[in-house]
Amino acid sequence: MNVSAQTPSSWRRILGTLILAVLLEQLPWSGWALVVRPDFMLVGVLFWTLHQPARIGFGTAFFLGLLADFQDGAVFGQHAIAYVIGVYLVLYLRLRLLQFDPHRQAAQMFPILLGVQTVVLLVGWLAVNPPAGLSILIPVLGSTVLWYLVALFVRLWHGKGARDRA
Amino acid sequence: MAMPGQLMFARRLGPTARLTIWLLVGLSCVVVDVRYHALDGLRSGFSMLLQPVREVMRVPTEVAAELTGFFTRHRLLQKERDALLAERTQLLVGVNNAKELARENAELRALLKLQSRPGQQVVHAALLYQGHDWFAQRLTLDQGGGAGLRTGLPVVDAGGLVGQLTRVYPGSSEVTLVSSAEQLTPVFVERTGQRGLAAGIGHGLMELRYMPAQTDLRPGDRLLTSGIDRLYPAGIPVATITRVSRSQSSPYLRVDCLPLAGLDRSRGVLVLIAEPQVTAR
Repeated sequence: MNVSAQTPSSWRRILGTLILAVLLEQLPWSGWALVVRPDFMLVGVLFWTLHQPARIGFGTAFFLGLLADFQDGAVFGQHAIAYVIGVYLVLYLRLRLLQFDPHRQAAQMFPILLGVQTVVLLVGWLAVNPPAGLSILIPVLGSTVLWYLVALFVRLWHGKGARDRA
Repeated sequence: MAMPGQLMFARRLGPTARLTIWLLVGLSCVVVDVRYHALDGLRSGFSMLLQPVREVMRVPTEVAAELTGFFTRHRLLQKERDALLAERTQLLVGVNNAKELARENAELRALLKLQSRPGQQVVHAALLYQGHDWFAQRLTLDQGGGAGLRTGLPVVDAGGLVGQLTRVYPGSSEVTLVSSAEQLTPVFVERTGQRGLAAGIGHGLMELRYMPAQTDLRPGDRLLTSGIDRLYPAGIPVATITRVSRSQSSPYLRVDCLPLAGLDRSRGVLVLIAEPQVTAR
């Protein structure tokens, strides 16, 4: 599962998916789609932190976080801090996360993604003003579903079944 | 327990140390941005980088809108056309009046040898991107400093006041909506002339603040900009009152309002470039 061969193609794959994540984020989302829109960049960066920790880590997460801050017109650093904490959590739980099949992995990712979003909420609260409601936590659900789909796709791509044969 | 591809002896900082460093960098970013507003250059950079991307990414939804629009019923279009024709005749009458007045005004000004005041200039802008509205509701427009925009200008659509430009980049700009939390708009009640202060409370809603309990307010009253801030021209519709209630604990009325502009619907808006009024000193 952990492709650690130092091939240029994996660099291409990493950059491709991260750019795709940025592009998806740029679509003019509105209404309900905007409310539940998964955080594509966060899922992308955490996914590659899990699978390629030597290449993607704190620096990338911080930069994409700044980009996310620009997106929402938020304070610079709000998402960046949260993404960096997310990367740390994934690195901390990495060996554990890698053992699970997609739906269990997604279930394990949910608290991490929730934690990241809570940090976004707290930093914004402290730095700007109280948030308008807790709708800020809804995208966590979207992100978890996205994580599940991505993990499932990767697993099927590598020719394994959707579930562990215990 | 060295795994292949993993170093036995660490030659770089551990995750905790790196986390600490990045957190410090992040915190300093927040402080520098909030306290000193020193990161606007970075914002401009991002906007220049992302604007073409956003314009490209707008295409799929536009194609989808075209396709659904194609199937709009013929009858609906006809009805709309009739309504538009009627409106056009009405407007033509208005235009004639306005032309007449403008001519008369020009003549009078010439008589008085006044320098003619530059007319209200209008920049048409399209909605480029909408961000999350967790802390403040913002829209990104596809016009910026290049079109003569600057921060503080009012943004309107066919329904009324949309908001105010708060950040201007070379090719795009950000609007803070009137319904955004803590966004204040000086208004007056159309029916009574009572002046007040309308504030956004998020979720696309507004409230009228500091109205004493005996104020004459009814649901359905329209609020217009009063123009006393010298920022918004007077008389732009802002909101309608939806509910007036008294609370036991506060000496003021609680007045809920609904913005008149299509904050989440309008795709095209106008930015009003009024000349700043110079106060004689």
